[in-house]
Amino acid sequence: MPGEIHHIRPGRDGSYPVDGSPRRLAAILAADISGYSRLMTMDEEGTHARVKRHRRELIDPTIIEHHGRLVKSTGDGFLAMFDSPVEAVRCAIVIQQSMVGRNAALPRDRWIQYRIGVNLGDVIVEPDDIYGDGVNIAARLEGIADPGDLFISGGVYEQVKHKLVCGYQSLGDRQVKNITDPVRVYRVLPDPAAVVNARPKPGLTFAVILSACLVASAAAATATWYFFVWQPKHLVVERSSEQTPGTTKKVVPAAAPQQAAPASKPETQPSPAPAQSQSVAIPPAQPPQAPAISEPEMVTVPAGTFAMGSNDDPSEKPIHQVKIKSFAIGKYPITVREWKRCVAAKACTYEATGQDDAPVTNVSWNDTKQFTEWLSRVTQKDYRLPTEAEWEYAARGGTQTKYWWGDQPATGMANCKGCNEPYDAAQPMKAGSLKPNPFGLYDMGGGVAQWVTDCWHKSYQAAPADGSTWLDAECPSRVIRSGSWKNDPSYVRPSNRDHYDANIRYPTHGFRVARSP
Amino acid sequence: MNITRIVLLSVVALLLPTAAHAQERPAHKDAYLYFVWPQDGTVIKGAFWARFGLRNMGVTHAGDDFENAGHHHLLIDVNTPLEPNEPIPQDKNHLHFGAGQTETRIELPPGKHTLQLVLGDAKHYPFKPPVVSKKITITVK
Repeated sequence: MPGEIHHIRPGRDGSYPVDGSPRRLAAILAADISGYSRLMTMDEEGTHARVKRHRRELIDPTIIEHHGRLVKSTGDGFLAMFDSPVEAVRCAIVIQQSMVGRNAALPRDRWIQYRIGVNLGDVIVEPDDIYGDGVNIAARLEGIADPGDLFISGGVYEQVKHKLVCGYQSLGDRQVKNITDPVRVYRVLPDPAAVVNARPKPGLTFAVILSACLVASAAAATATWYFFVWQPKHLVVERSSEQTPGTTKKVVPAAAPQQAAPASKPETQPSPAPAQSQSVAIPPAQPPQAPAISEPEMVTVPAGTFAMGSNDDPSEKPIHQVKIKSFAIGKYPITVREWKRCVAAKACTYEATGQDDAPVTNVSWNDTKQFTEWLSRVTQKDYRLPTEAEWEYAARGGTQTKYWWGDQPATGMANCKGCNEPYDAAQPMKAGSLKPNPFGLYDMGGGVAQWVTDCWHKSYQAAPADGSTWLDAECPSRVIRSGSWKNDPSYVRPSNRDHYDANIRYPTHGFRVARSP
Repeated sequence: MNITRIVLLSVVALLLPTAAHAQERPAHKDAYLYFVWPQDGTVIKGAFWARFGLRNMGVTHAGDDFENAGHHHLLIDVNTPLEPNEPIPQDKNHLHFGAGQTETRIELPPGKHTLQLVLGDAKHYPFKPPVVSKKITITVK
């Protein structure tokens, strides 16, 4: 038995006082990322940021939740110890399942997949590390596991088999490197697809047992169930416009909800720099589709300086001067009719409903990006969303009052709950039903809430003063303006601001387009 | 054979329109929604993390129509009753966690505030029956 750990073999009496370090029996969880160097070669900073994020959001809290302790972490892996093998296995299942959800929207070569081994053994505990055969066996189990898999030793299996109703596939005795006695290895089956691969015959019963396993582990993680939680938000993933959700759906097995995630979530995370990624996504040799495209009606807004913000809400402070260059903005919000043209061109994936002349609703920020990219392509003009500053400047129409028509709410000026009679809560009024503001723009306030380019910031502290888009490296939430027909009159104020997850649809959210002249 | 097929088809035809109504999503009978933190009566200084707990159902993205799964909505100082047949409103008092978040950092002005969680389905409708947490009251110093 070579190697320095051998003279401190686990002894029954536990009486090896090595530098005063206590021995104890513990469940050891060893994990590493499969193909880490490949991922790092491909995208060093991105991978590092994603791994760190998984650590922070998923792994560290899950270990704590299962009463474990993170012993140490290396670049591509980590080592944790638990008092209970049941908790260790539960923790591993939660991590593996959550990683499936986190990888779901990414191309396969970007997946971060852990291999995990859990062993029960007598170890020497030091403040910043643990030593002994028990640790080595966990590391070896992890080494022979496939990406996304969880391997446990016979000792762990004996402890958990009646407590965790999971699928356990016996892999027999395995000789592992530098350990004399063979180790009995079991694979804990993490998802229904793996069940089918492992055991074709009793697949159905297995799947049933397995779901019980998932429920059991999930119930243990009551405080935070991380299934399908956030996806990595900093990685730019471009999709070609041909890739519709329908085509991906076909390959998804019905029994595997975690695998279905990419199909029902066709959207990718927003890129931190839309302009750049836009140029990537545009197929180079696509000629403009001849005559049929009628562009949205645009109004050119003159350049100017204005005081952005108000003292009515903390999010609108501080009031600050912003200089705006002249730009063009949609006279109306984009209508269902206009949206459907993009769908017909197979460039927008969301099938909008509603009357043709009503503003399109239930579109996410990501959906609007598909629309502006398509419109830019077919018109050869640079269409985009307005920036937050441009939107407020346009909505004020040169006024500095609370509303563009004065300081008091007035009936019939905007479409909101409490703004006008008769009021229809079920849908917005059709675009352009009410009076335009001094710039000749309709529905700037009320009607549909409108997406703008900026990332959400809770105040204007450090906001740009040149009317440009205010972006961050991570941008899960984008700004919405205008309030909707379902909000009260205070939301109609031009300075009012709110925000929403960029990849999520909500029935009162729409948009209007803009472009620089 | 033919008859079974006809029966099956008509059953499917009958089910289709109801399946389209997201607001018909049934809740798990033992679903339990709660605040891990803060608890009822907590006195807090400054901004704080609110953490959401859910038992017997799962958290998923808005838009994902999986059985027994939904996403969180945090209602701050909301006194109007929940509309079971309407999407959960979106405004400054109804915060949405459609990306599947299970915690959030919030900053409230000093004073007493109520917090309540409501689970929404893929289309932001409450489940049937609604899965809601106890409405808790906290004090911000």
